[in-house]
Amino acid sequence: MQLLERELHIEELNALLDRIPSVGGRVALISGEAGIGKTSLLREFAAVQNKAGRVLWGGCEALFTPHPLAPLQDISRQIGGDFPKTICSAPSRHEIFNATLDQLARLATPTVVVIEDAHWADEATLDLIKFLGRRLAGLGVMLVVSYRDDEVADKHPLSSVIGDLPPALLCRIRLQPLSESAVGSLAAAAGRSPAGLHAVTGGNPFFVTEILAASEDKVPSTVRDAVIARMARLSEEARRVAHLVSIVPSHAERWLIDGMIGPGGEVMQECLNAGMVAHRDCSLGFRHEIARRAVEDSMSLPERQDLHAGALAMILKQREGKVAIGRLVHHADNAADSGAVLRFAPVAAERAAALGAHREAAGHLRTALRHAAALGASFPEEERALLFERLSYECYLTDEMADASSTREKALAVWRSLGSRRKEGDALRWLSRLSWFNGRKAAAEAYASEAVTVLEQLPAGRELAMAYSNCAQLSMIAENVGASLEWGRKALELAIRLGETEIEVHALTNIGTAKLVGEDPVGREDLERALGTALNSGFEEHVARAFTNLSTMAFRHREFPAAVEYLKAGIAYCDEHHLDSWIRYMTADRAQISMALGHWDDALKDAQAVIRHPRVAPVSKIPALATLGRIRARRGDPDSETPPGETALAEGYRLAVPTNEMQRLVQVLAARAEAAWLQGAGAPDVLADLSQAYELGLKHADSWIRGELAFWLWRHGLLDKVPARVARPFALQMAGDWQSAARAWEAIGCPYEQAMALADSDDEGPLRAALEIFERLEASPMAAIVRRKLRASGVRSIPRGAQERTRQNPCGMTNRQLRVLGLLVEGRRNADIARRLFVAEKTVDHHVSAVLAKLGVRSRGEAVATATRLGLREAQIEELVAKKIGKIPDGAMARQGHVPRRRTPPAST
Amino acid sequence: MPRYLVERDFPSGLNIPASDEGANVCRTVVDINAADGVTWIQSYFSTDNKKSYCIYDGPTPEAIRKVAVKNRLPVNRITEVRVLDPYFYRAA
Repeated sequence: MQLLERELHIEELNALLDRIPSVGGRVALISGEAGIGKTSLLREFAAVQNKAGRVLWGGCEALFTPHPLAPLQDISRQIGGDFPKTICSAPSRHEIFNATLDQLARLATPTVVVIEDAHWADEATLDLIKFLGRRLAGLGVMLVVSYRDDEVADKHPLSSVIGDLPPALLCRIRLQPLSESAVGSLAAAAGRSPAGLHAVTGGNPFFVTEILAASEDKVPSTVRDAVIARMARLSEEARRVAHLVSIVPSHAERWLIDGMIGPGGEVMQECLNAGMVAHRDCSLGFRHEIARRAVEDSMSLPERQDLHAGALAMILKQREGKVAIGRLVHHADNAADSGAVLRFAPVAAERAAALGAHREAAGHLRTALRHAAALGASFPEEERALLFERLSYECYLTDEMADASSTREKALAVWRSLGSRRKEGDALRWLSRLSWFNGRKAAAEAYASEAVTVLEQLPAGRELAMAYSNCAQLSMIAENVGASLEWGRKALELAIRLGETEIEVHALTNIGTAKLVGEDPVGREDLERALGTALNSGFEEHVARAFTNLSTMAFRHREFPAAVEYLKAGIAYCDEHHLDSWIRYMTADRAQISMALGHWDDALKDAQAVIRHPRVAPVSKIPALATLGRIRARRGDPDSETPPGETALAEGYRLAVPTNEMQRLVQVLAARAEAAWLQGAGAPDVLADLSQAYELGLKHADSWIRGELAFWLWRHGLLDKVPARVARPFALQMAGDWQSAARAWEAIGCPYEQAMALADSDDEGPLRAALEIFERLEASPMAAIVRRKLRASGVRSIPRGAQERTRQNPCGMTNRQLRVLGLLVEGRRNADIARRLFVAEKTVDHHVSAVLAKLGVRSRGEAVATATRLGLREAQIEELVAKKIGKIPDGAMARQGHVPRRRTPPAST
Repeated sequence: MPRYLVERDFPSGLNIPASDEGANVCRTVVDINAADGVTWIQSYFSTDNKKSYCIYDGPTPEAIRKVAVKNRLPVNRITEVRVLDPYFYRAA
């Protein structure tokens, strides 16, 4: 069939593909509602491109729990050679992804890789899209991802994958419904009246073609009615085939159809005439998932169950081991065959988890538990508890902490009823950890000590060592150094005695971090040792944790070069191993560091990326919000409510308070105190919180946290005396030694804090130095304060500001380039310019290109427009040239003909 | 979407001619803004053309600053604002 109103999109795709050999890989995102024609568009595009044999096609299936990496399996078969085998035998997802990358790098350039219906993709496929997306620049690959955007809301995992793709590589195509005239011409081609067709179908192409094919007098009111009307005309046997095909997502294999029905050729032809599609491997499917669902739903429940039971029996008889195990679960579940589900689902979960498809693993385990519940007492309790534990772990890995907790509680109840004390103790320890993730600190501590109590009554084992280490971690997070070290040592001793390396690493990480919290530099050595062991043993989560703690502690103590190095290595490691929540945590840390170092635009970019992520944890979001709110305050920008309802600082505060952790609170409280001070507004609530945190900080917090809290109380005039053990730059500044404080901040690399110290001076020199830094950072509230101070002390000729200076020569153009720009503004051609500057025309070409590049424009017209916008008119360009070379060039005015400035009104809409 | 008043200083004055060239300038600004979800609503200029007060819709103040850099326009102050319409008020 002819494809209407899609020519522009085809052209867009062709153009994108054509550019790939010169610019590198790109991603095309094709979105739209079901039936809008995403597949048709891609088929049309592929039909042209496929002549060169360069389209690889992988589809995601609408299974309740999709197969891990199903699209890659499709693609590997099309690539052929050893590749399918490599994929199947690779021990981990990491190796599979790398093998795929190698394979794609060897293919001819450009190659199109289609991942269809990504709204149904499993977690491993989504990670593959992200993995390839980040590496596309070096490949000659056009990755095409299609999805139903009406099914992909903000919380859908695909939306975060799309958010993580490099924006510069993206091309988005959103398919719109057909116009009334396009629907009219389809109707005309089918010899039908277009009356009412567009209104009923809303211009949905699939719906339109189904209605036209149904050839009813009455227009069916839903797409389902149209599909069913078509099926109603089938013979009895053909309808049986259609029913069978409808219970298999995507398409049903020929051997299955033959084994269960054995239709003749004419029956198959009848099916094809009714709008079904035969594939190259002789399997049969529906033209669209909408049609499949319509036919499936037209059967009664017992009819469907019988078909699923039959299909399951046929697969087990003929192809056991050759069909993906998730497919067995699908049929067993729909046949209500609990025995079969409990046989296959736990195995399917294990396979999915091994490929990193943890969401799918959880899906299979939930299915298994649903059937175990149906079996009641006949299902062994111990196995039920083990399923709960596995589900809890998969939920923990996919950041569904509430479910992880409630499932672990169910496991705990079973272990208690069975009297398995060791299992009970371990479940308690897990609940402690999960409660902490859910922000329930008191519950976390209660579970932690109960776990120790239960496990200490039994012979010491790994569960007890882990329970000790968990206590060490909780105490460390609460900045309770003494207790943390004590628990840590107990855990470490037991772990070493038992030869439990993983627990040893966990304990050592807690000990090292606790020492650093207590400002004992030896802690870094412990952490480095834990990191080394974790790296050697492939304990990925522990590697991530060690990197995070090393960088966080270095940042807290303002050791920026070390913090930056740990972050760089840590983020690279986590990126390679798909540890996304850790990447977000470290990205938020990086935002804070960039702010401290005066790289505010970088800081904002990182902070926004973390804040916008749909599944970000509060511990990562708090510092990102604090950074955003603080930079806004320092620039004098409003702390806008985006999304509406809460400002960044208000949200940060709301999230930080329930953690009751000093390291989170100090970020938000200091930011709020700074913003209030800069605005000169009374903020009794902010200061009350600050005082309270300060009192707490005096008991147990490191010198930097105490310093920061004391400093803002001091700024607000609320500090009676400078406390002991305060980090040096803060102590110097509060003691009135702004000069040494400024030097200390400068040595650490914090320009804003340095300028804040200089601004405490009353002398012209330091104040001018402060002003220059504030101007450079665009910190207008502080710049205004310093200017007022300078004026009050009688200083004249206060510089006007950085923006003014950059506009003098905004684009760093050379003298010659400025002059060429002046001639462009006059509307001169290259030959003319060459004559006037006594150079070859080719040289003028080079100058013009350089001018365009520096102005960031593509054409001479745009260059002139930009020069106008910058206020760079002919006369001013002349002035600039003169200033740069120190004098008005000889005869320049006369030679170029001095054009008087036109007086024109500014554009106002 | 929040609305902002953006104040800009042009010490040497800003002149956008009422010609094709001027229209081009405005269109370029509008296009660059659109990429970051920012809309230029209207501007008021002081009579000496040295100061402008521009009304913008944008997702965040950061987006306002980002497009200003791309457009090479100065930003002196951003204030989030709401509309007050005097004729909306009526005596009961």
